[in-house]
Amino acid sequence: MHVRRFLRNLLLAVLPVYAVWALATPLYDRVLVAGGQAVVRLAESPNVTRLLPAYQDPHYAWIDRLDFPPARRRVHSFRVTDLHFHLVLLGALFLAVPGISWRERLGALGWALLAAFGFHLLLVLFWVKFVYATQLGAWSAEHYGAFARNFWGLGKHLLDLPVKLALPFALWAAFHLRRLLPRRAEEGATRPA
Amino acid sequence: MPKKRRRPPKTPRSAELVAEPAAARPPWHRRPEVRFLAVFLVLLAAGFALVTWNPVNDRVIEPFTAGIAVVSGAALELIGEDVEMRGTVIRNPRFAVNIRNGCNGVEAMLIFLAAVLAFPASWPARGVGLALGIVAIQAVNLVRVVALFLTGAYMPDLFDASHTVVWQSVVILAAVLLWILWADRFAVPRRAAADAA
Repeated sequence: MHVRRFLRNLLLAVLPVYAVWALATPLYDRVLVAGGQAVVRLAESPNVTRLLPAYQDPHYAWIDRLDFPPARRRVHSFRVTDLHFHLVLLGALFLAVPGISWRERLGALGWALLAAFGFHLLLVLFWVKFVYATQLGAWSAEHYGAFARNFWGLGKHLLDLPVKLALPFALWAAFHLRRLLPRRAEEGATRPA
Repeated sequence: MPKKRRRPPKTPRSAELVAEPAAARPPWHRRPEVRFLAVFLVLLAAGFALVTWNPVNDRVIEPFTAGIAVVSGAALELIGEDVEMRGTVIRNPRFAVNIRNGCNGVEAMLIFLAAVLAFPASWPARGVGLALGIVAIQAVNLVRVVALFLTGAYMPDLFDASHTVVWQSVVILAAVLLWILWADRFAVPRRAAADAA
């Protein structure tokens, strides 16, 4: 793979991919909120969590608990767009790979987007559990032990920062690293890192 | 008596590798990208576990973040903004930012570090990559903090989107670009040299 062509393609792809992402974001936010609610409900019994798009700001979603009194039902909000903005980088990285057919390029991107969607659902689950375990004061302390608070808190922190930011690069490396470095791939068999 | 010339070996090293039965090698040797990813993810998790640990956070990350605030404040004063720094907070009458984890470039640095260390390269090449890459990432992060402060002060409606979508993407993109350049320029033997060998 020609690295210069790859870098040029990458810089050229960022803005068009950003435009597509910005156009698709309202729809994807809704899909993610609905899918996230289904995943959260798989992890709770009875089903008391409801995720709702915030109509004042379409980028946000509300976490409702249906077993709380109506005045306190709306417990927290989170910015849904922040969960998936790394798709811009993911799309640009996958579309920039030179020397392969569009079919192959889009096929790899499709698998990567599917993996990213799974990650986003997991991130919504951790966001909601993090809120329940650590953000609701006495109620959190009563219903979640020290281990659970640390598990959901650290998990949310790790997924929301390092994993989210590294995911596009990791997925790209999984699909295309060998194209970038064919000779290194051979040498990797003898030389330890 | 003329010395006997030593003949070079007939089979280059790569050919020996090809001759080795593939099944005899473990899967991570046959698929170096799998090995790269495994090492990358382990190093990334270890790095973040380390910086999340309270003693490291309090003694290393917080002072480092305060240092970034000081440098960013100095840069803002250099371009004519009258700002005041307190700990990790930069403020003026129009706007204030608190530089926290996630805004100090440490995430991008750790991703870059894990990628450089996971890649099969010589230690000097890794040293060069880490030194240049970390300085470059912090330079990009400095531009980010200054730009975000100016955005918050003069275009506050754009601050939210700039803070996460635009500048986090730019910093991570910079880290990825730097890694690819490093891998191509410093870590991978030049194609001509490899062909000659």
